[in-house]
Amino acid sequence: MIQHLVDGILTGSIISLGAIGLTLIMHMLRFANFSYAELLGIGAYSALVFDRLLAALIPFMHEKIGPLSLTWTLSVSVVLAMVVTGASAVVLDKLVFKRIRENAGPLSMVFASFGVALILRNIITLAFGHRAQLYSPDIAFAIVVSFDPLLLIKPDQVFVLGAALVLMLMLHVVLTRTTFGYSHRAVAENPDLAQVSGVRLSRMVVSVWVLGGGLSAAAGVFYGLTNQISPHLGHNFVLPVFAATIVGGIGSVYGAVLGGFIVGIASGLSLMILPSGYTPAMPFLIIIAVMLLRPHGLFGEELHR
Amino acid sequence: MKNNLTSIAALAALAVTAHAGTAAADCTLPVGVVYPTSVDWGKPIAETTLWVADMINEAGGVDGCRVNAILRDTQVDPRVGVDAARALVDLDRVQLLIGAVASGVTIPILTSVAAPSGVMQISCCSSTTRLTEIAAEGGANGLFFRTFATSNVQALVAAMKAQEAGYETITILYKNDDWGQDLGSLAAAAFAGAGIEVKAQIAINDDQPSYRAEVTQALATRPEALYLALYPKEGIAVVREWISLGGTTEFIGTNSLKSDEFREAVGMQHLGNFIGTDSSTPRTGSATAFVDAYTAHFNAPPSGPGLPNAFDAAAISLLAYHAAGRDATGAQIAAKVPMVTDPAGEPIDGDVAGFARAMELLSAGQPVSYQGGTGAVTFDQYGDVSAPAVFWNFGADGAITEIQYITLEEVAAFGASIE
Amino acid sequence: MIGMISYLAFFSTMAAIFAIAVLGLNLHWGYTGLFNGGVVAFFGAGAYGTMILGGRADATVLGGFGLPFLVALAGGVVLAGMLAWIVGLLTVRLRHDYLAISTFGVAIAFESLTRNAEWLTGGARGLRGFPRPFEAAVGNNFVYGLLFLAFVLLVLVLVYIGLERLVRSPFGRALRAIREDETAARSLGKNPTRLRLTSFVIGSMIMGVAGGLYVSFYAFVSPQDLAPILTFQIWAMLIVGGAGNNRGAILGAFLIWAAWTASGFLLARHAPVAMQIYTGSIQYILIGSVIVGMLLWRPQGLLPERLETSAGPDRTRPAGTNTTATTNKGVT
Repeated sequence: MIQHLVDGILTGSIISLGAIGLTLIMHMLRFANFSYAELLGIGAYSALVFDRLLAALIPFMHEKIGPLSLTWTLSVSVVLAMVVTGASAVVLDKLVFKRIRENAGPLSMVFASFGVALILRNIITLAFGHRAQLYSPDIAFAIVVSFDPLLLIKPDQVFVLGAALVLMLMLHVVLTRTTFGYSHRAVAENPDLAQVSGVRLSRMVVSVWVLGGGLSAAAGVFYGLTNQISPHLGHNFVLPVFAATIVGGIGSVYGAVLGGFIVGIASGLSLMILPSGYTPAMPFLIIIAVMLLRPHGLFGEELHR
Repeated sequence: MKNNLTSIAALAALAVTAHAGTAAADCTLPVGVVYPTSVDWGKPIAETTLWVADMINEAGGVDGCRVNAILRDTQVDPRVGVDAARALVDLDRVQLLIGAVASGVTIPILTSVAAPSGVMQISCCSSTTRLTEIAAEGGANGLFFRTFATSNVQALVAAMKAQEAGYETITILYKNDDWGQDLGSLAAAAFAGAGIEVKAQIAINDDQPSYRAEVTQALATRPEALYLALYPKEGIAVVREWISLGGTTEFIGTNSLKSDEFREAVGMQHLGNFIGTDSSTPRTGSATAFVDAYTAHFNAPPSGPGLPNAFDAAAISLLAYHAAGRDATGAQIAAKVPMVTDPAGEPIDGDVAGFARAMELLSAGQPVSYQGGTGAVTFDQYGDVSAPAVFWNFGADGAITEIQYITLEEVAAFGASIE
Repeated sequence: MIGMISYLAFFSTMAAIFAIAVLGLNLHWGYTGLFNGGVVAFFGAGAYGTMILGGRADATVLGGFGLPFLVALAGGVVLAGMLAWIVGLLTVRLRHDYLAISTFGVAIAFESLTRNAEWLTGGARGLRGFPRPFEAAVGNNFVYGLLFLAFVLLVLVLVYIGLERLVRSPFGRALRAIREDETAARSLGKNPTRLRLTSFVIGSMIMGVAGGLYVSFYAFVSPQDLAPILTFQIWAMLIVGGAGNNRGAILGAFLIWAAWTASGFLLARHAPVAMQIYTGSIQYILIGSVIVGMLLWRPQGLLPERLETSAGPDRTRPAGTNTTATTNKGVT
């Protein structure tokens, strides 16, 4: 019970990071972006490339930090991967979504995002192969926090939780204390009014993609650190990340954070009532439950037509 | 070894020309191969099959005709697989289909293509008991064979090993697909029969973001050992998580984990107590010969699952085709299979020389006993094989090593003892 | 020659079955503006419903009632309709993106159910042994293939005619009215929620027909038949053919299925052996690019919607994209 709860929080932090960007993008661009989760994959794989490169260039940095399986090279790579992923998100928008936005409505965007997801996932497969890859082949052992009830926690997971919280805090500061934050909120609330007030809409769209891409990259790397990375990484997160976004309410950053933890915990606890075969359906059940009980999500806007 | 093979091949070629007097180029016989080449473990299976076709051609071809093995990818998708099989049967006019791997693809190919069209189908790797049921109902028209034993053999020997090791409790983690569900429930029954308490049977789904909850659940049952009916992909994720949480390293695993990828990702230091089961590769000369020949041909040992089975599926079906003649229908080829696997026949090896000898005998109307990568195979009335079993582990240098051979009789006796 | 005809009959049967599903989706998206991201769930409900009712008796599962083919098919269609009704009650009122996500989730949940509820669906091992309808009476496999094709084409034509009449009826006009401008439609006394729900259920039942025909043809169904890629393929057929145009939907089904099988055939034959392992990935990239390309350069599809009313000739928006004023208040 306690263990499931703790595990849920740790998995939840990764889902939260993924959901923040999605909620911002869904709010601003008004479409369900099924390709968004692939950014986690792009982030994880670009970090892998940077990590290998750096390890070859400056081998002495390829050492583990304390009890973590995180190396110095990988921690640098995370930052680089965030940049690369943010940039790829912007490029994708320029190449595809922007043009469809101009010609057609949000439903075409939803479907285009299906197509983009398929393309991205398979390009990753072509480039890196089907095999699962690991940042570090060594297994990081969990620390026994308590024997009764049994509670085990891995140092990596604590680090991931901490790092995720730090990123969220930074985002909070950006959104509440900077001009960018104000502009962003203005655009999300009322794009027309914001434009009249001198906010450059196209610039806001780019910044949201950068932000979302960066956070997803971090989520992807953190996931790879505690698990493994495969071309399906992004795809596996589609439903959990959407569920977190909807639970929190579209457009609410804090809702997305909370939603991530709720989805993580619920998936963990669900094993106590449902056989594990049903776990893939869990995020969906959460979505349905939210829509029945609280159709706006926890902090969201109207979600009916 | 390579030289050796070449010289054997040269001799065989000579022998064939001497005996049969026909060259393999006079005519061409299309044979359909439907395997999931776009999946990592499917590709070597397909390559092994094509290799057998090459050897058969080298040995003189099927009834003097060159075998043209046409390979189509199933993508593990029933629609793609059925379409490929249909195209092979209709457009390429094949009378023999070799494939597929996943039962969810093999079965619709059988029920909607092979059986209605009267084409023989042989699969290397489909293990589901569903296929036995279909054959028992007459849905296969006697056209279906497989060289992979149903999962019961693996389940039985896993229980045998657990009993031997003195485990009192075990927890089962199974892949949540047709193969895993079959194996999971068969193994649970076998363990229970052997007096071992099954603490939990936990389904592991493909492509989940995290297996932490499943592993935690397994850990909470505190079993003495873990039974793994998983593929390398999720097996790596699950076992790494399990070990990192301090779970026991007493593992019993299925043949699907015979994988370098699994060994590398989990690490040898944690796999010292790992015992694998496999339904085949018995300790016979022919099985060792297969490993040697494969290693020589592909410059790597056969480390993936199902490779000897794929070899035998191709060899048996092509030899039966030879016995039935170049104009044979699927049903006629299927009818000749017992002639290739007749225990009373002359033992035949799975190499070019062996194939040449087999063809010579078969042409003369004499049965042979084919001894292949999975030993002396015999099919029952439903096209199923009963296979002996082996235990294997990851040896000191990490190579997959056979550690014990359990004969067919021993498997059967153990099965009877726990009923 | 006979082989060629036989394969073409097989190919056309599959394409026609998909075309029926695409017609169902066209009612959802093309005419009503409902984004159904879980086509495979309703297709699957029809498939499993037909198989459970018409399949052979089996001690390990509940089903296998051995009902006559048409009764079983009808049962499967009703099951698909019931699933759609329940899902629809919960979701059709939602904004399009929520609908897309929740139907996407329905498909995954449905697949999960078929994979795990062994007592009902046989689990991952699937349901077997549905006797191919009337096969014994025909005997000849080649003739049977042609007859089955004729039957499927008949169903396709019936569905097509039914839908054409439906969308030209007052009901169909009301659907397009709420698609284009919900507030205006409401002011004319239309009940958008009920209209959408009706459309959702009818479209899903058509998908159920396709599923039922599919399993009758394959004589087997397993969760592997319900992979999400099928939803994507059916969508691709509609986008390429032209949403809002039933003839376009049928054309798209044949074109995409032909492209899918032909690319597999060509890649298997001509791609270098080392690349064979990646043919699946290459195919996915190709199909993904076709979709995105279509949306970029010809969003209305090959056969665009023929609009008899309201819009001018310069209209380039694809059908159903301009749902409501509220959903478009974002960046456009």
